[in-house]
Amino acid sequence: MPVRYKLKEFLFETIIRASGLASIIAVGLIFFFLLKEGTLLFQTQTLGDFLLGKKWYPISEPPGFGILPLILGSLLVTLGAAIISIPLGIACAVYIAEVAPPRIKEILKSGVELLAAIPSVVLGFIGIVTVVPWIKSTFDVPTGLTAFAGSFILAFMAMPTVVSIAEDALHSVPKIYKEGAYALGATQWQTIYRVVLPAAASGIVAAVMLGIGRVVGETMAVMMVTGNSASMPKGIFYPVRTLTATVAAEMGETVQGSDHYFSLFAIGIVLFVITFAVNMTADVFIHRRRK
Amino acid sequence: MSSPVIQTEGLSLFYGDFQALRNVNFTVMEKRITAIIGPSGCGKSTLLRVFNRMNDLVEGVQVSGKVLLDGQDIYAPETDLLALRKKVGMVFQRPNPFPISVYENILFGLRIHHLADKRRGELDRIVEESLKSVLLWDDLKDRLANIATNLSLERQQKLCVARLLVMRPEVLLMDEPCSALDPMATARVEELMQELKKNYTIVIVTHNMQQAARVSDDTGYMYLGELVEFGPTQKIFTTPRDKRTEEYITGRAG
Ligand SMILES: Nc1ncnc2c1ncn2[C@@H]1O[C@H](COP(=O)(O)OP(=O)(O)OP(=O)(O)O)[C@@H](O)[C@H]1O
Ligand SMILES: [Mg+2]
Repeated sequence: MPVRYKLKEFLFETIIRASGLASIIAVGLIFFFLLKEGTLLFQTQTLGDFLLGKKWYPISEPPGFGILPLILGSLLVTLGAAIISIPLGIACAVYIAEVAPPRIKEILKSGVELLAAIPSVVLGFIGIVTVVPWIKSTFDVPTGLTAFAGSFILAFMAMPTVVSIAEDALHSVPKIYKEGAYALGATQWQTIYRVVLPAAASGIVAAVMLGIGRVVGETMAVMMVTGNSASMPKGIFYPVRTLTATVAAEMGETVQGSDHYFSLFAIGIVLFVITFAVNMTADVFIHRRRK
Repeated sequence: MSSPVIQTEGLSLFYGDFQALRNVNFTVMEKRITAIIGPSGCGKSTLLRVFNRMNDLVEGVQVSGKVLLDGQDIYAPETDLLALRKKVGMVFQRPNPFPISVYENILFGLRIHHLADKRRGELDRIVEESLKSVLLWDDLKDRLANIATNLSLERQQKLCVARLLVMRPEVLLMDEPCSALDPMATARVEELMQELKKNYTIVIVTHNMQQAARVSDDTGYMYLGELVEFGPTQKIFTTPRDKRTEEYITGRAG
């Protein structure tokens, strides 16, 4: 091989390797920074008080840095969003992949993509003017700014992820499985739930996990519609506060180097761990599917 | 002499504007093996898929003429499509067991036709019997819970036959069932076909003329959508009437 080509190849390889390395280093630095600042909180607080404490009073005297209400708030909102978006998303994916005629399929697919393109602040805004008053009047509660409103809006944000990845998984089920089922005298519905869905199962689980990952980390829309009450959540029809919303709302007004400041970083670590775990689970299922 | 199970009269089939079958008059006799041979694209698979109406799944298919199964026109509006496919089973070119356990693969047909609401012992017996009839029981009796798609291709293909047998079909359609298998496996599947012939009527599409000559009792030669010649395999391979058949068999065409 001429030297000229060798040099070119070497250059390309170096550039690609360097950019790969850069992204890993960036992630490492972010995590390191998060860890460094976050752990400073534990000079004055114990981990147990932080994770399981029920009082989040960061600027009172004496302060409380218990994030249990925030964890539960996130959990409640996420769970609600999952309960709404999983069945809806899978049903929608099945319809697009297996049932819809080609034209409707195209329309639906672009619709789902469009949904993904709506900025989260816009969804939050729409939530405030439609979902929140609707919840207040329908369920007869003092305020519509509730965990349920958050779940409802987040379900919409998770849908595009769930639908497109699940649809992809369904679509890649080999055609010969379906033919086999039809040739045995199965109906379309039997073919879908006995053959296509099980064959796509790991891809669908991955879709769900990635949808949930999206929901856990979401901030803006949730902050706008959940009422932001940092007390222990009493139910889905009460205001709550999520981990993400807490960081976003309070970061601007803390004193750098204070316990409050460190505690927000510690919340960041908790979020990082949760999202990482969810995405890893999704990854495991995606790889299982490829096998 | 046995009686005809399938008969087509003036059968034509269009995929949109393209005519894939031209005025085909074809007969399948009971408990015999009927082979369909011919060059690629001549309509062998299409004809086979008429018999269990798998062509219905293709957009824009038009069928005319008559297709009789036990004297009943299967394209008549009152035909129960699902019952037809239970009676006329199909084995595909690429083995396609479902990615579930061997056990559940076999019971799949019974479950979808709601015939599996029996006691566990009874189901176990059905699974054993069907695996025995495809000569797989000794190989698989300890692996019933394994995922079927991990088996060897030969076993997968035999399992696909077993999966049909639990429904007590009349006819087995096989579309190049051995083309994914090595010669040894092919020989064993051919042996299985001879075994199955005692109880079932078999129609096989094959690219392999030797295979047709070895396994079949009757043979039809197709060319460009036409059934050129049809008769006892012996006769087709030794004294074909049509020049086109002769050319194909002696290797000068196709
Ligand atoms: N779904 C379809 N839509 C349109 N044309 C089709 C379709 N399926 C088959 N054809 C055409 O019909 C003709 C017959 O196809 P068929 O699959 O029956 O041939 P074959 O004899 O089985 O060929 P092979 O030996 O390659 O399997 C071919 O020209 C093919 O291109
Ligand atoms: Mg074919």
